[in-house]
Amino acid sequence: MITAGVDLGTQSVKVVILKDGSVVGRGKAFSGFDPAKAAEQAMDEALMTANLSLSDLSHVTATGASMALAPKADSTVSMMGADAKAGIFLFPKARTIIDIGAEEARAVKCDDRGVMVEFVVNERCAAGAGAFIEAMARALEVKLEEMGPLSLKAERASPINASCVIFGESDVVTLIHRQESKPEIARAVFDAMADRISSMVHRLGVNPDVVLLGGVAKDVGFVASLKRKLGIDILIPEFPEFAGALGAALTAASKAERSQK
Amino acid sequence: MKSQQKKYMIEISQKEIEELRNSVKATSRKVMAENIARMKKTSKNRPKAMEYFDEVADLFGKREKEIQAAKESGKKVIGYMCLFAPIEMILAADAIPVRVNSGWYDTSKLGDRIVPVEVCPVIRSTIGAKMIGLSPYLELSDALISVLTCDGMTKLGEILSDYKPVWAMPIPRVKDSPQSLRFWRDGLLTVKGQIEALTGNKITRKKLKSAIEKTQRATKAFRRLQDLRKGNPVIMGRDAMLVNQTYMWDDITRWTEKTEALCDELEEKVRRKEWACSLDAPRVMVTGTPMIWPDNWKLPTLVEEGKPQGVLVADELCSSERLLYDPVGVDEWTMDDMLDAIGERYLMASTCPCFTSKDGNVDRINWILNKIKEWNVQGVIYYVVRGCMSYAMEYTRIKKVLDGINIPVYYLDTEYTREDVGQMKTRVEAFLEMLTARIDI
Amino acid sequence: MVIEILGEALKLMVLAGLTIAGILTILIWKKGLATRVTYLRFVIQAAALAAFFYIFTYPIWLLIMLIVILVIPIAFGRFFCGWLCPFGLYMDLITVARKALKIRHRDLPDRLNKFLHNLRYVLLLVFLLLPVVLLLMDPLPSVQLGIVLAEVLGGPFKPMNILLGPIIPLIVPWAGPLVIGDVNFSYPYVQDIIGYTSGIYATIFPLIFVALTVIGSFMIRRVWCRFCPTGASLAVVNRFKGFKWAPALHLDKDEEKCTKCGICKRVCSVQVTDVYEQKGGKIDTSMCMLCLRCVEMCPYEGCLKLKIGGKTIFESRNWLKPSDSD
Repeated sequence: MITAGVDLGTQSVKVVILKDGSVVGRGKAFSGFDPAKAAEQAMDEALMTANLSLSDLSHVTATGASMALAPKADSTVSMMGADAKAGIFLFPKARTIIDIGAEEARAVKCDDRGVMVEFVVNERCAAGAGAFIEAMARALEVKLEEMGPLSLKAERASPINASCVIFGESDVVTLIHRQESKPEIARAVFDAMADRISSMVHRLGVNPDVVLLGGVAKDVGFVASLKRKLGIDILIPEFPEFAGALGAALTAASKAERSQK
Repeated sequence: MKSQQKKYMIEISQKEIEELRNSVKATSRKVMAENIARMKKTSKNRPKAMEYFDEVADLFGKREKEIQAAKESGKKVIGYMCLFAPIEMILAADAIPVRVNSGWYDTSKLGDRIVPVEVCPVIRSTIGAKMIGLSPYLELSDALISVLTCDGMTKLGEILSDYKPVWAMPIPRVKDSPQSLRFWRDGLLTVKGQIEALTGNKITRKKLKSAIEKTQRATKAFRRLQDLRKGNPVIMGRDAMLVNQTYMWDDITRWTEKTEALCDELEEKVRRKEWACSLDAPRVMVTGTPMIWPDNWKLPTLVEEGKPQGVLVADELCSSERLLYDPVGVDEWTMDDMLDAIGERYLMASTCPCFTSKDGNVDRINWILNKIKEWNVQGVIYYVVRGCMSYAMEYTRIKKVLDGINIPVYYLDTEYTREDVGQMKTRVEAFLEMLTARIDI
Repeated sequence: MVIEILGEALKLMVLAGLTIAGILTILIWKKGLATRVTYLRFVIQAAALAAFFYIFTYPIWLLIMLIVILVIPIAFGRFFCGWLCPFGLYMDLITVARKALKIRHRDLPDRLNKFLHNLRYVLLLVFLLLPVVLLLMDPLPSVQLGIVLAEVLGGPFKPMNILLGPIIPLIVPWAGPLVIGDVNFSYPYVQDIIGYTSGIYATIFPLIFVALTVIGSFMIRRVWCRFCPTGASLAVVNRFKGFKWAPALHLDKDEEKCTKCGICKRVCSVQVTDVYEQKGGKIDTSMCMLCLRCVEMCPYEGCLKLKIGGKTIFESRNWLKPSDSD
């Protein structure tokens, strides 16, 4: 059985194609102004890598902030539901799944059956999400990809405010004026964000194993900060940014299975 | 009148008031019509008796004209904020009670001109509504009873006193002590005197008795409706909430009759097994800040139109099920005993988080637990608007209790705004999805 | 002789009639046609009054009285006080009269009420030890002490003894001497003086007693019950651990259904606060007379229950219908 999951995120659209429980294709495109078109592009890319055509897909499930815009989706699943599915699929022992995307951070708690029992969302603020790192990178005049490696060089951290992207940025400027070194500021940025995320996760309770998904999981600097804050090892899959789409594809698979019965 | 100087209200030109009122009124009309249309669409087998409530729900419609006419014939209208105001006394003095808390989103932005945005939007919205003279019931009332429950309500009364006589009723923060009851009873007596002075009608024993009997009948009908929601969903939660809310401004005797008729129809539906929605829909309860018609209807809408669809079977809102759940229980029909009974009904039975006791606000926890058990609730949404401190702070305790009995609860905070519906939708639907998944297993 | 037989027959008829009325009431109530337990209680009280008259025309052993009044309540609480006691009926009728006059009762301060409640144990002890004390004080019949005691507690109200005080059967058994060792528990002194019906005590004490109880129970509901030693028994065992099972007939409260509205506290004729204050489960109090007024007035379905063993026999309902007691 072949199914697909489409994750229409705020920044990019990700597609995962699943064939009998294994990933055969991935596709990604920037959302831009037309998420529907981006979704089609990402789908084409995924189908191409998988060597399949649209008609091979028995079920397509959409997820993400603009899931309602997904073309040709048979069903939808919430982002938290998709995270839980993907987290358990990737790491069967996962109990706490954190997903940090461009503009939203979520934490999901699963029970031992792999069912989502509780979730929290970083409400209406980008300070705990990828966009924060981006804005801070801009203020530091370094590339986004360099932020992580840069922060690892720091010996200590200077505290900054992570309650708001805008205030955070002005804090960073203050630190620059105080002539703090760039690695230290970068680490401060990650620490502040990890602080926010960890307090969000603590609302659920930190139950191992903890899995980190979403694009931000690729940032070594942030992962190091979060590990320090939570005091626990964090599992990260190979393609964390595709986890939402993977979860959607898994949902699609179970839905298709159910409809076959 | 010593001076016309307003204590809080800003000067605003008549022209601007006109313009704002017309535009908000137009939006509100649209919202009300849309809400009702959506409620009709969602509910399978919607009871015919709901038509009456759809009509009364029109804030600028029939009921406004009725009250206007009654006023012209010499009746007084007494508005109240918070459900602690003794409605029986207002009725006994042959006046019309109306609750004036506002649910308009647009007016909360106007309220920002007077109080900071951190203030609870229910308060800001009521202030805004007064600024532009939007709420017909607030405009028609001759006096307001302001019960000093939360901080917002306390100051709201003060702000509204720029326009109308406001009778403040201080409320003790601890319910179950003898001095609290004495204090509250003294407050009731003061208000009784004020009502008598305004209306010119003496509240006699006979009149008060018949007023109490009137609200007892209303409570009976009200409870009958809530009891019908215990079984398979025969009425959508939004419909029931609308019925409950219309009590705040409708004529009580007529409301009772219509609710009884609605219950008759629903009982018939139960017999014929005509349910309002799929029986698989997760049964949800809402608790927290009051939700007030017409704008502040987004959460119930999201739950009952969500994918998967949920159904609200119970709530713990002072704008819905807490309005009338508790009756006035009179032992001996003497004036004193009736006053005590009224005092106890409003003060003691309340689960408002503005109270505490030896054991905290344990009454509220019991209410929620009872609803969960008897109404077979599968998940609780804890709804808080920004700025509502007391509800927000009690969440931690409620969550602990609900975790203990393995009932999922989700904390949803929002504002008086239409813009965050998208984000709320994601969360509410994820919660409903979670409930569905739990039910499947 | 003929008159006596007729009298007996009449008593039997009254008793039978009232019992039938009681049974009918129970049947009607079970069918849910009547909602007010208070009316049922009046019928049963009246039947019990007749029964007591009937029973007390026969000689009764003090021991039987002690068993009835002290042992049965261990299992059934003060059911006797609420439903059977003729003196209770007397006070309830005064309450009805007061209600008809639309005058409100007064409440005792809670602390005084609790004090009187504890005082009853002392009173009980005094009355039980009285024969011993009298014997020790004065081995021969003492006219002075005996008169006072007899006049206050029974003498002139001979036919209505039971009406005026449930303690009287404890003190003044009409017949049947009980002698254990040297102490005559049949109160020979008292018995001798009962025939003494002249003198100033015979008029003054009963008058004072009647006046006090009428005024007292007019102002304060069930005033006598607050310190009546007859109703002391339940709490005595209930206070010890290991005896918590004892009251088989008891009130039970469902914590979650309770909104703490306070109605149960206000309607209680002996101002029991435990029903309101206790969190839930079995209500442990010896002040409660199980008159069920609180259960009747509680507006939350199934919140208050009367249980026997573990079985619910009566519970609060959604009574919400305008009262017809005006």
